[in-house]
Amino acid sequence: MSYAYLFKYIIIGDTGVGKSCLLLQFTDKRFQPVHDLTIGVEFGARMITIDNKPIKLQIWDTAGQESFRSITRSYYRGAAGALLVYDITRRETFNHLASWLEDARQHANANMTIMLIGNKSDLAHRRAVSTEEGEQFAKENGLIFMEASAKTAQNVEEAFINTAGTIYKKIQDGVFDVSNESYGIKVGYGGIPGPSGGKDGSASQAGGCCS
Amino acid sequence: MVWRKLGPTTTTTTARRRRRSNLANILISLLLVLICSLLFDVFSGGDGRRTRSGFVEGAFGRNDGGGGVGAIFWITGGGVGGGGGNGPQSNVGIAIAVTVMAGLAVAATLVYSNRGHLQSPWSRRRRKHALQPKQWKAFFDEDGRLCDGGVKFLKKARSGGVHPSLRAEVWPFLLGVYDLKSSKEERDAVKTTNRKEYEKLRKQCQQTYKSSDKTAQIKEMCGSDSKDDKDDGQVLDPSSPRNSLSPSLNQSDNLKPCESGGDSELTCTRETESSDSDSSVEAEVMHPEKLAQETDTSSSNTESKTLNPYRSESFATWQRIIRLDAVRANDEWVVYSPSQAAVCLAKALELAESVCLKDYNHLEACRIFHAARLVSILEAYALYDSEIGYCQGMSDLLSPLISVIEDDSEAFWCFVGFMKKARHNFRLDEVGIRRQLNIVSKIIKGKDSRLYHHLEELQAEDCFFVYRMVVVLFRRELTFEQTLCLWEVMWADQTAIRAGITKSAWGRMRLRAPPTDDLLLYAIAACVLQKRKQIIDKYSSMDEILRECNSMAGHLDVWKLLDDAHDLVVNLHDKI
Repeated sequence: MSYAYLFKYIIIGDTGVGKSCLLLQFTDKRFQPVHDLTIGVEFGARMITIDNKPIKLQIWDTAGQESFRSITRSYYRGAAGALLVYDITRRETFNHLASWLEDARQHANANMTIMLIGNKSDLAHRRAVSTEEGEQFAKENGLIFMEASAKTAQNVEEAFINTAGTIYKKIQDGVFDVSNESYGIKVGYGGIPGPSGGKDGSASQAGGCCS
Repeated sequence: MVWRKLGPTTTTTTARRRRRSNLANILISLLLVLICSLLFDVFSGGDGRRTRSGFVEGAFGRNDGGGGVGAIFWITGGGVGGGGGNGPQSNVGIAIAVTVMAGLAVAATLVYSNRGHLQSPWSRRRRKHALQPKQWKAFFDEDGRLCDGGVKFLKKARSGGVHPSLRAEVWPFLLGVYDLKSSKEERDAVKTTNRKEYEKLRKQCQQTYKSSDKTAQIKEMCGSDSKDDKDDGQVLDPSSPRNSLSPSLNQSDNLKPCESGGDSELTCTRETESSDSDSSVEAEVMHPEKLAQETDTSSSNTESKTLNPYRSESFATWQRIIRLDAVRANDEWVVYSPSQAAVCLAKALELAESVCLKDYNHLEACRIFHAARLVSILEAYALYDSEIGYCQGMSDLLSPLISVIEDDSEAFWCFVGFMKKARHNFRLDEVGIRRQLNIVSKIIKGKDSRLYHHLEELQAEDCFFVYRMVVVLFRRELTFEQTLCLWEVMWADQTAIRAGITKSAWGRMRLRAPPTDDLLLYAIAACVLQKRKQIIDKYSSMDEILRECNSMAGHLDVWKLLDDAHDLVVNLHDKI
């Protein structure tokens, strides 16, 4: 399918926080209560629309255990956005955020947009990390923050799409050299199908704004 | 073992018989055989210490796909001359023997050229049935010893796998728990020792649950809301919990889990195992309380990073992740293991309680039971092999084992045998996994330079896209039953190598491909090669190849895979 832009994402965070489930909810709109643990990396994709432009999100879902970090690190490179996920019912997954963030900052490009997600918001009765703490951490580290639930789909769309919106805005502001694919952004040739614009029109328009 | 390959090898799967070329082929065969015997003579004269058994393969044919004749010549000379040199007479003898064998081989060539080309044990035409209960029984003598050192057994298991009803009995042989030459009595003794050893490990695990200053941690581990959790999984002291637990690595020789470089910390000290008393264990093995403290006092991430490039995880972290993974193990095994599938809820809950498993309310009884067994064994393994501890993916390897083997201690020791080779996949420094990916890359390069070139263009020649296949040995790509077949074949190869059955024994079997430790890697390369056209024509990035590989589940045929892998082994084994 044609797109105006392709954004590469990576999903990171401790094992068992629901990274794969968030992805599955976003790409397939379904929830799988027992999900196989991820070995290495897995992959998902979906089209979204921002500012009337079709944008393809290519999402790399990574394994959470320390042992897989050196393979996941190679996926930081070339990612425009990252979803950093913790589990609001397990304190230690929140405590490890600093380590994940450090890893991301070290191995990703400096302009990567990071969204912090407190997953499993449907399990409020077992909450171990308050919303305020999540907000606080995000604020201190310059991240976008949201609590979400892969099970109920609450905020899942928003998390992925808001991240894309931020990346899109950065493109508009000329933060990225979009011809350089190492930023995790690819300019496509597809425009908006239909009467509102020609196929090449939107792409060149989009590309033009940041050259 | 000396492997020598003469003449150009040819891809044999597509080779068809062509009578016209038979005569020419035979002449070439004769010529090559003569050269080979001469070479052999010179060679054996040069080095008396070298083994006199060699596998000389000549595969002659043209690459036009029209004709191809394959022949294997097994040349067995005298044994190794007691460390000293062998006189010239013996060389003459060998030369004569070689020539005689060559003659026979030519005859064999004729036979094969008339029957069509010699195929792998896994090709459709030659496909064998799995090892049957009757055959299995017949392999043993009155002492309960495998008759011919297990050669026939391995041949059978290698070519067709094992009948499901036999697996629990056969796997301990394939996984090195029992020696192929052992008698029934010896095996019973091993079984008893193993059971005690396993119980000891379990006792140590249980102590970590009880230990009072660990309460908070265990609560956290079990999914409760402890806020004062400090376990960040970063232990910087290289001596903990590794090394200090190594005395538990004292199984029989064939189970030593370490050979390669970097594993030197692990000491296999069978001799030092003196008694079963708890006090001696306490002396050798770190106290569980201490394990807990190590975790509590662990330093910050940054500190540990500067001290140790590969941050190790603490035992408490392993315990936590093991539980997370156990409750999300898949249930494909259920139909293959009716007795465990029918376990009653009370029993499942009791077991779950005993290993401090929580968060399983959404699971049915059999899955709770399965999860609890996974926890017991993985945790014991993390103590037993503390260099590896626990790494995700290990539960994928253990799950089929416990589905087949109902006794925890037996399953544990089979797992230890399995991990002897697989553990390298789980090293934190990723040396093992990289070595294997590198071999897959070499196989592809050797077989298909066009595909390799394409991968290079996509910067995917490191073959990271088969990472998952290497780590969990096709468990995610094949169905439960097919995975077990593949593993059995692979284990049979490894057992043959371990037992030194790679010489004349395989010759009698007329199996062209030598057993290899890396059969799995050849199978992985084969499955990539099966997709070559698609990869070259359609894929323009590594992402797409990875996606293809990850979505192979349910679309692979294990015997076709092995047949293709066989072809690669025949052609590339010496070059890789």
